[in-house]
Amino acid sequence: MNGAGKTLYRWTRDLHLYLGLFVSPFLVAFAVSVFFLNHAKVDTSAVSSIATVRDIAVPAGMERTQGREAVDLARKIVDQVGVTGEIGFVRYLGKERRLVIPVSRPGVETVVDVDVSKRTAVVSRRITSVMESIAYLHKSPGPHNAVLRGNWFWTRVWKWLTDGTVYLLLFSSVSGLYLWLTIRAERRVGLVLLGAGAMTFVAFLYGLAI
Amino acid sequence: MASPSDRGQRAGTVLEMWNRQVHYYLGLYFFVSLWLFSLTGLLLNHPQWALSRIPNDANPEYAIAIEPTSGDTDLARARDIVRQLGLKGEIDWPQSAQAPGRLDFNVTFPKRAMQLSVDLREGRATVRQIDRSLWSAVRITHTFSGSRYNTPGMYRDWLLTSMWVTAMDALAAGLLIMVIGSYYMWYQLKTKRASGWIALVAGFLSCGWIVFGLA
Repeated sequence: MNGAGKTLYRWTRDLHLYLGLFVSPFLVAFAVSVFFLNHAKVDTSAVSSIATVRDIAVPAGMERTQGREAVDLARKIVDQVGVTGEIGFVRYLGKERRLVIPVSRPGVETVVDVDVSKRTAVVSRRITSVMESIAYLHKSPGPHNAVLRGNWFWTRVWKWLTDGTVYLLLFSSVSGLYLWLTIRAERRVGLVLLGAGAMTFVAFLYGLAI
Repeated sequence: MASPSDRGQRAGTVLEMWNRQVHYYLGLYFFVSLWLFSLTGLLLNHPQWALSRIPNDANPEYAIAIEPTSGDTDLARARDIVRQLGLKGEIDWPQSAQAPGRLDFNVTFPKRAMQLSVDLREGRATVRQIDRSLWSAVRITHTFSGSRYNTPGMYRDWLLTSMWVTAMDALAAGLLIMVIGSYYMWYQLKTKRASGWIALVAGFLSCGWIVFGLA
């Protein structure tokens, strides 16, 4: 290995180490939550607390708005009842003049049920376990209702962090590949494992996606 | 004869070598799957990207006669219909109750989704089939587990889904082993300990703040 090669090796090794250490808690969170997402069952109907809040100021035009605009107006209601988090959606039940607003954040799932005529809101909270919180983050912000997602500041922060996790993971895997290639004695076994892993995956994809 | 301290040192060297090998052997074995989950994770995080879109255009629906179904429960009858029609995939059962004499459910796997509407009295099943591109199917594999933790009564019932879930579990377990092994390898490097602590603590604080701080 010449001078430039040695410098590249040292830099790659150090970056692999430090960036890997930084991203490792995120990887642990994502990996652990896989078991929860694949195997757990949670009774979401078990509510931890219910409270009624009166004299709610319902923003004008709330019943007619949709999409992101409705979420922005719903935020004004949610703030009044002391709830923070990502608003899932806003459902208006016209006959009953009710607004249903689910709000999520790690550790708590809340449903704010507003009676527009009486200007009251019933706030039902469900405290979630640490594992469910991590699973929630694993899926957040997610592909559904894309226009609405990221209506809470911390959801946007988490989105940046998860993107960063992916990019750092891709860097770690490529730099790891380079570091392995520098060890001549391990190339044969490594190639077999790389091929075996690829074959296993292709076989699954063939069964699931073809 | 080797002294106890020599034996301890040798055991430490062997452990270090094994740990190093396990780290890169696992990394190499899971290399392709890690890339697939990373890239599909990015697509899930950015639904507005053109590559993330999953078309849901159904083919023209068709009706097909079925024989009287066997089974004590709606799910058992649904399984019998799936068998009769020669369909494959995970039965996606609706949360709402079934209307008397009818069965409405989906049979899905990443490449295809079939919406079945069955009239048990008439002995007729109407099928809407949605075929997906290979790319869309690959994206769907990221979340294809046949189960949702917050949906009671939804369980895996297709062998391939169970095998796929086992593969996802194995990848997660492999990642955890690699992370723990990497902590050991880093800690053996005395000159990198202090700087490594900074990187590790920064990671724990940023991740921990979101997981625990926001709760």
